Amino acid sequence: MKKKQANKPIIEIVRATKIYPPDVVALEDITLSIPYGEMLFLTGMSGAGKTTLLKLICGIEYPDKGLVEVAGKDMNRIKANEIPRLRQQIGMAYQDFKLLADRTVAQNISMAMEVAYHNIRAIKNRVIELLQKLRLEHKYDALAGRLSRGEQQRVAIARAVANSPTLILADEPTGNLDSKTTKLVMKLFEDCNSSGTTVIIATHDEDIYRETDYRVLELHSGRFLAQEDMTTSTSNNMP
Amino acid sequence: MKFINTIAVQTGRNLQKTWPTQFMTLLTVTLSVLIFSFFFLIYTNIIKTGEKLGDDLRLTIYLEEEPVLEMQAQLVRKIINFSPVEEIRFTSRNDAFKRLATQLGDNVDVLDDLDASFLPPSIEIYPQKNLNTLAQIQRFSEYLSTLPGAVKVQYGQEWIERFNYFTKLLQIIVFLSGILLIMTATFMVAYTIRLAVVARQAELEILRLLGATNNYIRTPFLIEGFLQGLFGSSLGLLALFFLYRWIQLRFTGPGILQLVQFTFFSPAIICIIIFASISLCIGGSFSSMRKFMRI
Repeated sequence: MKKKQANKPIIEIVRATKIYPPDVVALEDITLSIPYGEMLFLTGMSGAGKTTLLKLICGIEYPDKGLVEVAGKDMNRIKANEIPRLRQQIGMAYQDFKLLADRTVAQNISMAMEVAYHNIRAIKNRVIELLQKLRLEHKYDALAGRLSRGEQQRVAIARAVANSPTLILADEPTGNLDSKTTKLVMKLFEDCNSSGTTVIIATHDEDIYRETDYRVLELHSGRFLAQEDMTTSTSNNMP
Repeated sequence: MKFINTIAVQTGRNLQKTWPTQFMTLLTVTLSVLIFSFFFLIYTNIIKTGEKLGDDLRLTIYLEEEPVLEMQAQLVRKIINFSPVEEIRFTSRNDAFKRLATQLGDNVDVLDDLDASFLPPSIEIYPQKNLNTLAQIQRFSEYLSTLPGAVKVQYGQEWIERFNYFTKLLQIIVFLSGILLIMTATFMVAYTIRLAVVARQAELEILRLLGATNNYIRTPFLIEGFLQGLFGSSLGLLALFFLYRWIQLRFTGPGILQLVQFTFFSPAIICIIIFASISLCIGGSFSSMRKFMRI
């Protein structure tokens, strides 16, 4: 799945709408195509629909209307037993981290690889490598609940990339980080993207995308701004 | 191999986190198996004893007069026509007198002034092994009492009836303790797994988001059920074995235990009890997961 498939998008969204009961329109008539290996930013104010869009992509939520296709799978028709396989290929860093406070940093990161049945030694090596990249190696055995918000955020990011997924979804990954650590995290995402991983970062931190060539899609009240310009994928920002 | 390793690590982690509840469940399963197998052991031994006593079953018909040869042949024919028997033995007054004299041993002199006429002639009937229920014996006995010249039929009615009621009582106890075993094993394990599922709800939610398959999430819980069943039943049977040895040591000698050939379960029965306990515990674990784990 990780190999780029020429002309085939990893994500294809056509006129997708998501409405939360009773009548909160989170996304409206969204159309988007993302090819394999692209790195892009989703921006917009809080409540614009960034998180909902990421949730539709990783199958946590389903569209009320329209089509969401990930790696060729229609998320509305995907079989229940195909979802775990697909999720193993998607690394998601959640805005609220979703870490287990009573587990160590290493155990939290390992979970992503354990569900894919990697061997224990490979898991340990990968965890150490990621912690070194994110300057958290000294927190290997620390309980996740005792870390600062910034450290927890980095652990959540490490877990998202641990399984070397085909697609990384990061929801506000730098919200609690200082500029120096933000650079470390962005370097990690860029490294993943260089090796062929598609990366989608939802953020309202302009600093991390202002001076880059990556595609930036802005959401406003559940719709893309100037959507007609954005639906056609640009290939010049691919690594 | 990777699957087994990962699941083993997961199971170990779960057991470590929930060991107090797991221990209480193990104890309950052990006690239930002990109670059930204790009564079942008594029941099987009583049944064996009953079969052994059934081998010695004899019905005696006391007659008014000693039957002549023709009459004897007629009686034999009538008896066999009603129910096939192992053996029919006629005892004359003289034979009965001689037997009584032998039985009296040193006190034989009490018979000095008596002749054999005070003892009735009799027919001793040894029925076939298939005549083993109380109702069948009673029906046969009623028929025998209608034979010409029959005064009384004896077969130890009172003792056999009591024995029969005792085995029926044991049957009920075994049945009830079996239900107790099923309920405790299934419900306690289901309850423990339910607690574990609730306690680990956040973790299970994250695991699902990370792409854990149903097998990855369910298997450790099923293994926990398997271990509860295996260790619970093994400990229960081990405790029963020690109890059995203690009874053997303390109660050997003359008495009821000499009459009853008290033996422990055969390896096949032990395997069946362990297998049944494991199945019940896995069933409890599975039902709990179906109810409380939306996967």
